Amino acid sequence: MSALRDKYAIVGTGKSRLGQVGANSLALLEEAIKNALDEAGLTNKDVDGVVVRGPDDVYSHHQLVAARLGVDASFSTSLDNGGASQILSIILAVMAIEAGLATTVVCGYGRDSWSRTHAKGGAGIAQNDLIPAAQRPKEHGPEFGHFGAVSQHAFGARRHMFEYGTTRDDFAAVAMAFREHALRNPEAVMKKPMTREDYYKARLIVDPFGMFDCSLNSDGAGAVVVTSAERARSLKQKPVLIKGFATHNNTKGWIEEDHMLSTGAVDSGERAFKMAGLGPKDVDTTQIYDCFTYMVLTQLEDYGFCKKGEGGEFVRSGALRMEGSLPTNTSGGQLSEAHVEGMLQIVEGARQLQGVYGVGRQVPDAEIALISGHGGNQVCHSTLILGRA
Amino acid sequence: MSEYNKPIPVPSQESQPYWDGLRERKLMMPRCDDCNSYWFPPSLLCPRCNSSKWTWTKTSGRGRIYSYVVYHRVYHPAFAQEVPYAVAVVELDEGPRMYSNVIGVPPDALSCDMKVEVAYEPITDAITLPKFRPVAA
Repeated sequence: MSALRDKYAIVGTGKSRLGQVGANSLALLEEAIKNALDEAGLTNKDVDGVVVRGPDDVYSHHQLVAARLGVDASFSTSLDNGGASQILSIILAVMAIEAGLATTVVCGYGRDSWSRTHAKGGAGIAQNDLIPAAQRPKEHGPEFGHFGAVSQHAFGARRHMFEYGTTRDDFAAVAMAFREHALRNPEAVMKKPMTREDYYKARLIVDPFGMFDCSLNSDGAGAVVVTSAERARSLKQKPVLIKGFATHNNTKGWIEEDHMLSTGAVDSGERAFKMAGLGPKDVDTTQIYDCFTYMVLTQLEDYGFCKKGEGGEFVRSGALRMEGSLPTNTSGGQLSEAHVEGMLQIVEGARQLQGVYGVGRQVPDAEIALISGHGGNQVCHSTLILGRA
Repeated sequence: MSEYNKPIPVPSQESQPYWDGLRERKLMMPRCDDCNSYWFPPSLLCPRCNSSKWTWTKTSGRGRIYSYVVYHRVYHPAFAQEVPYAVAVVELDEGPRMYSNVIGVPPDALSCDMKVEVAYEPITDAITLPKFRPVAA
């Protein structure tokens, strides 16, 4: 795998408008891809690969996206690994280019969850209700009042609290650090500071998670353009090098073995670091899949930024803040910027390495970024390590 | 008695014997004839050794709370009167884990690793739910 280290690059990144946009997911993704291509100085004529994902009920997603772009693709497909899909799309892009199946691949994800949960106005329906009926469990769950992703992750948080003495104060430290970052990011949805009191005053959703432990319900999209590092040299932007990647899916199940305490970040992290020839100490910034506060804490342990069970102490130390030892989710993340299932984490990691931001928003001298993806039925995991060219 | 309006399980061909067992107040699980392990939910092959030789076997119905959460948000209208209510991942002594409710105690009395035993709750002529209650220490 290390033969591929630094051989491929991200040459453009783009976002759509974020938050309560009102556009559909395909239009949002089109907007983000256009921005990414513009940033790369490329057009649809240069694109011969499309690897994307959209809301779970949009069938033949990549075909719809490529049609909007006016691209006949030599390689295109849609992915099914939940929030781990977005890094996987970059991995597949690299594999496709390496195999000679494509030369320039756009990767992206778009969602319109806010619009769809608020289609009839009012306070909105639960995101669970967007899951197509045929995909919902018919037994062994709903009869007990068990529904959806919040509680699945809350089971992990509860067990972690029991085994390691982790507390909601630790989860608050994650939420507050990311909110601080969002306040420095004009694109972020959340605009107000969050105090510890705000965190505890927020209503409980599924205990131990309150509202501020949960990521945002957003419309939005992100996209990147992947090509060879060699080709990147003649393009408009300074490229960001793809140094390492790996996936690991705990597909036996989230509630099986110790999976809710120890994620696929353990294995995918180890192999991604090996491919990159790097370790946790080399990382300047991380962009961690923060569907819930707890998932940041446990993934940081799994990657080896601290020992298993010491994540609470690590996040309480202020490590994740812009001024801390490991600035994390520097855009505000899914908890405070917008929830685009990990795609914006990739955009943010790449931009930090391009050094495009001003003082206070930019991680000084950022050379290496680690980005994570997590999702599906809580079991899919992906890791991407990027480096400054 | 008011009409039962919570979700009623829809058995599959694979799970029908499980629901048949519950109706007779037995918590049955697939058990591998080759490696003796139990698993849940039911499927064609033993997930441990992939043997296709296995037998529906009555479990002890005893186990522990591996983890639990307390729902405050209402995700289904039939649970509007129940919040806050707890959902647990129960680990049976035989190994398999399953979602259920722990009855007879308020949510704030629960803890991880608490010992529990099955309590049968018929909801229709065809379906009896396997719930759990704490076992006196």
